[in-house]
Amino acid sequence: MARITVDPITRIEGHLRIDVEVDGGAVRDSWSSGQMYRGIETILKGRDPRDAWLFTQRFCGVCTTVHAIASVRAVENALNMEVPLNAQYIRNLLILAHGLHDHIVHFYHLSALDWVDVVEALKADPAKAASLGESLSPWPGNSKRQMEAVKAKLKEFVDRGQLGIFANGYWGHSAMKLPPEVNLLAVNHYLQALDYQQKANKVVAILGGKTPNIQNLAVGGVANAINLDNESALNMTKLFAVKDLLDDVATFVQQVYLVDVCAVGALYAHWLGYGAGVTNYLAVPDLALDTKGTQFDLPGGTIFEGNLGGAKAITSFQDAYFKENVEESIAHSWYDGDWQRHPWQEDTEPKYSEFDPNGKYSWVKSPRFMGRPMQVGPLAQMLVGYATGHELIKKWVDYALGTAGAVAGAKLGPGVLHGTLGRHLARAVRATVFSELAVKHWGLLANNIGKGDTAVFNPPEFPSGEQQGFGFHEAPRGTLSHWVVIDNGKIKNYQAVVPSTWNAGPRDAKGQKGPYEASLVGNPIADPKRPLEVLRTIHSFDPCLACAIHTVDVEGQELSKVRVL
Amino acid sequence: MGGSEARNVLVMGLGNVLMGDDAFGPTVARTLESRFDLPPGVSALDAGTPGLDLMPYLLGVKALVVVDTVSSKDPPGTVKTYRLEEILRAPIQPRVNPHDPGLKEALHTLDFAGQCPEEVLLVGVVPENVERGLALSPAVRDSVDAALGEILKELDRLGVPASPRRNASEPDLWWLGRDS
Repeated sequence: MARITVDPITRIEGHLRIDVEVDGGAVRDSWSSGQMYRGIETILKGRDPRDAWLFTQRFCGVCTTVHAIASVRAVENALNMEVPLNAQYIRNLLILAHGLHDHIVHFYHLSALDWVDVVEALKADPAKAASLGESLSPWPGNSKRQMEAVKAKLKEFVDRGQLGIFANGYWGHSAMKLPPEVNLLAVNHYLQALDYQQKANKVVAILGGKTPNIQNLAVGGVANAINLDNESALNMTKLFAVKDLLDDVATFVQQVYLVDVCAVGALYAHWLGYGAGVTNYLAVPDLALDTKGTQFDLPGGTIFEGNLGGAKAITSFQDAYFKENVEESIAHSWYDGDWQRHPWQEDTEPKYSEFDPNGKYSWVKSPRFMGRPMQVGPLAQMLVGYATGHELIKKWVDYALGTAGAVAGAKLGPGVLHGTLGRHLARAVRATVFSELAVKHWGLLANNIGKGDTAVFNPPEFPSGEQQGFGFHEAPRGTLSHWVVIDNGKIKNYQAVVPSTWNAGPRDAKGQKGPYEASLVGNPIADPKRPLEVLRTIHSFDPCLACAIHTVDVEGQELSKVRVL
Repeated sequence: MGGSEARNVLVMGLGNVLMGDDAFGPTVARTLESRFDLPPGVSALDAGTPGLDLMPYLLGVKALVVVDTVSSKDPPGTVKTYRLEEILRAPIQPRVNPHDPGLKEALHTLDFAGQCPEEVLLVGVVPENVERGLALSPAVRDSVDAALGEILKELDRLGVPASPRRNASEPDLWWLGRDS
């Protein structure tokens, strides 16, 4: 029995520690620990609820937009407000563009290299790689010349003697299985993806303001002035720039990203059984189509124990099933006490102690829905959509399973989605669904403005006394909810239950593991010193706990390490 | 070099404004913008803590000035500058969390793509306190002007000098509170 700790020992950037017990070449038990106290919510106490979104989008530098959106929705919910249609559509376009950007970056730049061996790509025959690429997709960027150029660039890079961004990858690991040509094709798309993530991000910038922290939200709507003839307002030129960018990104997602994930998944078909873990799923509906938030283009709901037939829908911004069933447990978290409470009743009293696998071992709380751990993220939303007959999701899930099945030479059903590769496939499918919906919602906004409707904002009014509100958003990493208690126009309590908390949380009082922990059990480990397989499964969730703080280390030594005891 | 538009110079403040001295980068970027007229092709940006999501802001940038906290044994408030080669030489961490990557990793990624800014200057301050909180510690607050000085020197060197604004305004440091 070996115990592996993958432990970023700096307080600076790495906040996730994973411990696994390995026996007989597989993980037998596991612990997920958040290594940094956030508690940023307490900064909000006593503030004006209209300003909360400015602060919440600074919770995390990667997930800025999503915290802004959940926050204004929470306050609007407390005040029982509706927002104008244009505001919904503009928020929806921000959500869609941000999600497209985030999913593309996650696959190509943050996790593809768990599966793609960059160094092996040097052995590829560019002509073969090109003909393989052209057999899979009509994408014009797979030519022989292109492959030769990428191979030459890679060779020059490796010959320099330092691998730059690829240093510390697990190159040559026995779990790397792709043929050299597929590796080269993937490196080619890694480079091309840089341009498309930027195009998606430009849409966010045009609609939301120049910085990564959007500036156009308001409790009650958005602050974009709509005037088709005014230079500084949201006008015709800007609207058509958005359309062109969304069309370009849609082509990349449909012809490259989705195809790549299907092909890589098929070539690693032996991994299809790994990484399922918690098969209870939670997603919330999003992309509101009406002012009140009762009609949506993306589905939400719950699935328990992988039973798609028993899926139950979450249907509105006021949904009681969601509102009443979210709780957080601190049984194994470094907070004072041992309770499981509804977010409106929570407090945040840090009480740190040693890492104790049988006691408290994480700063992350354990969210529960009806007392059960839930997996959140693109897979949850795609399964809920598939189970409830969402047409667009069903179309692209079936397409993806068909494409992957053709490469693998097997018939694949939705059951194979429970697991590590399924999370990647579901994310690519979600991006593809987004690529269609982005064009649709652009049309909804343009048509509504064309009808002469330029309303973007309903002013909020704060009654005296206490109000409670919740706002949810299906973010790139899954279900995000903000919970606010307002007292005489000031914030009395504020809690954010974030997607990575649902997935990364520790055990609860009943000993039920969180999704990261459960997903690792049974994973193969070929080499305990290079636990690539652990990273594969954890990365498939797209974890994001790291962004509360940021410091550049240019003098330091290696800051994180793998320990095998 | 072409005209000043083609220079495309970005002064970027990094850091989390909710975490004490980590607000240094955003504070300096916003102060620069409020006190100085930046010539065409030069912009200032409070970029927060975007990790690898820095990439879209760096693509197409020819010269970059980054303001951030740096970890060092020097006393809090010390302002230190580094060039691109020094940043790229520092070891990349084994990836545990896909969002660990920050400035170094974004620059490395663009370097591989052949799209790294030609010139990079990191203006770093050694923080005293990076716990949750909304104010800079005194030593770090006193270093804002020194960091501005380094930025102005670099803009001069790049041939795009900034000039003091005739109607300088207070920087918009909204997190310091309008109502509390």
